[in-house]
Amino acid sequence: MPQDSPAIDLTSCDREPIRTPGAVQPHGFLLALDHQLTVLQVSDNLARHTGVTPAQALGEPLATVIGAEAAALLAPQLAAERLREQPAYLTTIRQQGVLFDVLAHAWDGLLIVECEPARGSHGADLLQLSPLLGDFLNKITDADTIDELSRLAAADIRALTGFGRVMVYSFDDAGHGSVLAESLADGYDSYLGQRFPASDIPRQARALYVANRVRLIHDAHYTPAQLLPPQHPLTGQPSDLSFAALRSVSPVHLQYMRNMGTLASMSVSLVVKGKLWGLISCHHAEPRLLSFHQRSVCEQIGQILALHIKNRSDADELAFRLEVRRSMVRILGGLTQGADFIENLRSVLPELLHFARAGGVAIVIGERLITFGDTPSDAQIQALAGWLGAQVHDEVFYSDHLAASYAPAAEYTDCASGVLAMQISRIHPHYLLWFRPEHVVQIDWAGRPDDKPSVNGQLSPRTSFRLWRETVHGTSVPWRDGEVELALEFRTALLGIALERAEQMADLAEELGRANKELEAFSYSVSHDLRAPLRHIVGFADLLLESAGSEQVERRQRFLANIKDAARLAGKLVDDLLSFSQMGRAALRPVRVRMDDLVRSCIDKLAPDLPPQRLHPIDWQVMPLPAVSADPAFLQLALYNLLSNAVKFTANSDPAVIRISSEQLPGETVFHIADNGVGFNMEYAHKLFGVFQRLHRMEDFSGTGIGLANVRRIIERHGGRVWAHSVQGEGATFSFALPNTDLD
Amino acid sequence: MLKPILLVEDNPNDLELTLIALERSQLANEVIVVRDGAEALDYLHARGAYASREQGNPAVVLLDLKLPKVDGLEVLAEIRGSATLKSMPVVMLTSSREEQDLVRSYELGVNAYVVKPVDFSEFVRAIADLGIFWAVLNEPPPGSHRYIKPQ
Repeated sequence: MPQDSPAIDLTSCDREPIRTPGAVQPHGFLLALDHQLTVLQVSDNLARHTGVTPAQALGEPLATVIGAEAAALLAPQLAAERLREQPAYLTTIRQQGVLFDVLAHAWDGLLIVECEPARGSHGADLLQLSPLLGDFLNKITDADTIDELSRLAAADIRALTGFGRVMVYSFDDAGHGSVLAESLADGYDSYLGQRFPASDIPRQARALYVANRVRLIHDAHYTPAQLLPPQHPLTGQPSDLSFAALRSVSPVHLQYMRNMGTLASMSVSLVVKGKLWGLISCHHAEPRLLSFHQRSVCEQIGQILALHIKNRSDADELAFRLEVRRSMVRILGGLTQGADFIENLRSVLPELLHFARAGGVAIVIGERLITFGDTPSDAQIQALAGWLGAQVHDEVFYSDHLAASYAPAAEYTDCASGVLAMQISRIHPHYLLWFRPEHVVQIDWAGRPDDKPSVNGQLSPRTSFRLWRETVHGTSVPWRDGEVELALEFRTALLGIALERAEQMADLAEELGRANKELEAFSYSVSHDLRAPLRHIVGFADLLLESAGSEQVERRQRFLANIKDAARLAGKLVDDLLSFSQMGRAALRPVRVRMDDLVRSCIDKLAPDLPPQRLHPIDWQVMPLPAVSADPAFLQLALYNLLSNAVKFTANSDPAVIRISSEQLPGETVFHIADNGVGFNMEYAHKLFGVFQRLHRMEDFSGTGIGLANVRRIIERHGGRVWAHSVQGEGATFSFALPNTDLD
Repeated sequence: MLKPILLVEDNPNDLELTLIALERSQLANEVIVVRDGAEALDYLHARGAYASREQGNPAVVLLDLKLPKVDGLEVLAEIRGSATLKSMPVVMLTSSREEQDLVRSYELGVNAYVVKPVDFSEFVRAIADLGIFWAVLNEPPPGSHRYIKPQ
């Protein structure tokens, strides 16, 4: 890694007092005033520009230095509330026959007035500069890429300033700058595509570049004009010149410029989302001055460029995320296809590779390992997963230089220099791993980054800017923020699917449990209920044989009738049990069912089955009923059971009233079958729908005790529920609810 | 002066067969028939339709396992949970030797568990043995009221 290599660096540059150099560049002069416009601090070159010595000026009114006329012109504009921390142009004044542009800003408790030689007239400047800016805006709107935008900005700034070399460079995460675009005059070397090490621009300089976005050094050979007094006149602290246009720069930087063959330089900051994204850096072999207005336009070009860069990179990021998200949707779609989660994962492996732009992918589920593409060996992956489990506690781990944090990875940098690892279980150390192959990077440095000799213990900037090519091994293409965020999102979705699956499993287990219980009840009933009639047949047959010779004809006939009944009951039991077991197995075929018709057909079907000894007619009251979605054959069976029950238990009611009605509840349709029969004791309501449960004596109301169990089974298989209510002796109401489905 | 036998049976065929069998056993004890679990409990607690019955517990309860409303196991559980009924002999009479019923019955403290034989003569012998054992040979729990047959 480039930042690891230099043994000597200029980190002490980070301690250079660049905001408080105690001096200004000597082509102009500086006056620091209090609010009464009394001169408190001056640059020591004052006499050269104004003829007034610092001794004559300090403690005196402004007029003493620049003359009464100029002072009167400035006074109203110097009102503290009008000034901001960024210098503003106030006017142009004449001193000793030379015109000076006056800039002023309020900072650090002082009014700081800077006078710099004017270049051309202010009006002419504006006339010349405005169309340039307009032109730039027009061109930049058509540019497609950040490089293209940068090229336009470089060309326009060179045209505007006359600098020999204008470069636009951007900083990477490590702070190294690469040159994206440049505009060159004849005789200037190209730096395009080269990298400048982070150490070229010290940390605190970067911070200052964010605050003060344009900085000009007009002549690297200048001798600074010291401030008098050297300290802040009110606080005694070093004077803060952060925003001063004339601020003197570090002697190290001037040496750097001279080493580079650059005597004049200007930097314009490119600030994107509050961070120093890059710089427009201008170089000139000869000393060069720019007016405040020229610098302002350059600053504006920088701002426009930064804004477009932001939009461009936002749009790029958006497009990128959209693509990755599409990929994610395809994967998630694939993951919900089949029943086996792991198999589903296997089926989306190619898409998973695409998702993370990776060379290989591995899924670690405990001892199980599924790999695809170019990956380390199974053992290496398991070892890596073990290390992740022990060392990494974040949901997602990623690195484009895995060997730097996990040494064994040095063995497989070819396929897995980079890794993005995602824990896919909250409980188990299960991982989804993406591997990126080594991406050997050739970096063209503008000179060796570590070439910064120390001379006599004093820091000196590097002396060579000759191209130096570095080859970086063991790293992959870096993981983008968007990729990591989407991986996290993907993980959430994945866990969601897993959770849903677990719930489905739980549902299935519950259903199996219920089926099993029904099966037990079934076999239990077979052994109890089917055995009884057989025993009766044998019993009465024995009795019949015994009484063969006797005269008790009546008794023998009763035994015969009992045998017949028992045989019939046994047959019916077998039938009912069969139908009950079929009920659980046959597939439902739901269609739209008109309940009115279904009820009518059940009533018709009941009529011939009515026992001839029935005394009372039945008053059927069928209310208008809605249609539902259900399997008509099954639903008819349930309905028939309920209606025949109602008929059975109203045998002694006069008149027998059976009423069928419905009501609409949220999400379901409820049907009620109410009768005025004998009813049942609510105490035993919980047994009502069990297999072979009876609440009445056989000779009172016949039946096998399976009807209501069938009803419950049918309705529950439709996703509905059944219940019953009764007042003993007054009747019963059986109700069932069917869910409203899409078919409705 | 014999205590009665309480027969709890819902199925009319079973009832008839059991009564014939008891008749043939020549037991002198009165047989009281109830038709479901709820009625059995009413009798035992001397409540409802049986509020005015004679005092005293039966010599034995012949209890069918599958009964409408309150089943045999529930009746047994209630008997064993009642201070006045808990020492009364209870014989489970059932169609089938289902493991779960057997286990549950003994857990609840049944005195005997008898699967009704399919063959009628065996059935008669089983019922007669039961009646003789519980109503004649078996010494009832101390403190139980002596049954006075109404004159």
